[in-house]
Amino acid sequence: MTSTPVPITLTTSDIHKSFGSHHVLKGISLDARQGDVISILGASGSGKSTYLRCINMLETPDQGSISLDGESLLMRRRKDGRMEPANRAQVERMRSRLAMVFQGFNLWSHMTVLQNLIEGPMQVLKRPRAECVEEAEQLLQRVGLFERRDYYPAHLSGGQQQRVAIARALAMRPQVMLFDEPTSALDPELVGEVLKVMRALAEEGRTMLVVTHEMGFARNVANRVVFMHQGLIDVEGRPADVFGAQGSERFRQFISGHQERAAA
Amino acid sequence: MIDFDFLLDTLGKLLAAVPTTLGLFFLSLLCGGLLSLAIVAMRVSGYPALSWFARGYVLVFRGSPLLIQLFLIYYGLGQFEFVRESPLWLVLRSPYACAVLTLALCTAGYTAEILRGGLLAVPHGQIEAGLAVGMSRWTLLRRVIAPVALRQCLPAYSTEAVLLVKSTALASLVTVWDVTGVAQQIIQRTYRTMEVFICAAAIYLVLNFLLVRGLGLLEHHLSPHLRARPSAAPIQARTV
Repeated sequence: MTSTPVPITLTTSDIHKSFGSHHVLKGISLDARQGDVISILGASGSGKSTYLRCINMLETPDQGSISLDGESLLMRRRKDGRMEPANRAQVERMRSRLAMVFQGFNLWSHMTVLQNLIEGPMQVLKRPRAECVEEAEQLLQRVGLFERRDYYPAHLSGGQQQRVAIARALAMRPQVMLFDEPTSALDPELVGEVLKVMRALAEEGRTMLVVTHEMGFARNVANRVVFMHQGLIDVEGRPADVFGAQGSERFRQFISGHQERAAA
Repeated sequence: MIDFDFLLDTLGKLLAAVPTTLGLFFLSLLCGGLLSLAIVAMRVSGYPALSWFARGYVLVFRGSPLLIQLFLIYYGLGQFEFVRESPLWLVLRSPYACAVLTLALCTAGYTAEILRGGLLAVPHGQIEAGLAVGMSRWTLLRRVIAPVALRQCLPAYSTEAVLLVKSTALASLVTVWDVTGVAQQIIQRTYRTMEVFICAAAIYLVLNFLLVRGLGLLEHHLSPHLRARPSAAPIQARTV
């Protein structure tokens, strides 16, 4: 197993974050190797979304370090003791390599599907339009929405919007993809089409961090599972181990709670 | 009996003053629009001093009568020796320039609040999506925030534009010969208040009709995403 070390793509260590007096993250350290698909599970309020948002600086961690492909994010301490990014351009550059898919899709409402896909590559990566359009159309084929390329987001179902959002993330050619509860806002019958796209991405070796409540995805698609509890990693490991005998007591309670809700 | 010759003659004289009215309108719309960008930028800047200045500006220019603002700028400022000796006097001694200045200052207060409403209506998630792909603050403003905010503003802004067209009539009180000014001139000679003012009102009505139509077309053009989805493309069959 350890004979061919896969390079580490993303390192986060000792991430802390408070909102006022509420200490949401109490020191999260996690590495993602190239091709890792890491499912982050936990009850609501356990800090999993906050952690994901700290990775691309949508939330600024109070403490800790982040590095992507060996490049450390430069932070500095403000007068009040909190940290802030030292170099805005570096944050923007790192964000462009870390694509994010949101729970609420967050497509740009005034742009068509195709415009949503080419916006980042053209405006941020400064790639030529023709090349962006060609690649965007291929991505839309992949997520099965090529025919909808001239539609506006408001004219699509939730599942379609989320598939567009995934294609938009892919259009940035990211090194790591961050998924923040990508199926939680969807009607149950639309969850499957989004999970199918995510499973295909996992199979082609994309590096993905997925905050989710989809146990099937965590168990069958991810190669690592992280269970968070009250701002700390409670247990992590291969799905077979975490879901099996090596999981913690808390994780078993969490899972049985999920099953009860699914059965109800 | 209706005196058609008189009406036609009056209408001709009033129409000759339309360029003056339109000039007042477009110049003050342009200057006021640019000024409102500065005001709203200060208002949302996050710096308390700038933000409070912008609040104060809006309070003063939205809260006091436009006519008094006009009199203060045209008659009031001329009282001061240092104003008359400063290069500003080149502008402030002209009734037309004073009218444009007053209208611009006033509409900027209203427009800044309309723009602020538009900014507040930009969904936060769309801003985060821009940040997450690595947009700089300027790119985000240019590509996401401004286009979404301006579309939100357009209906309220067209009302403000209509009010501005009508407000230009006040310029006649500081001797600008716009449509209203010329109308009063004719009335002073003929004492035929009804016919002349009805002609003048009709001209403002037509101007505003064209303005509202124009802005409506712009709004329609800019918001295909708010209309029904395209019907030409196939729509998946739904089972009920």
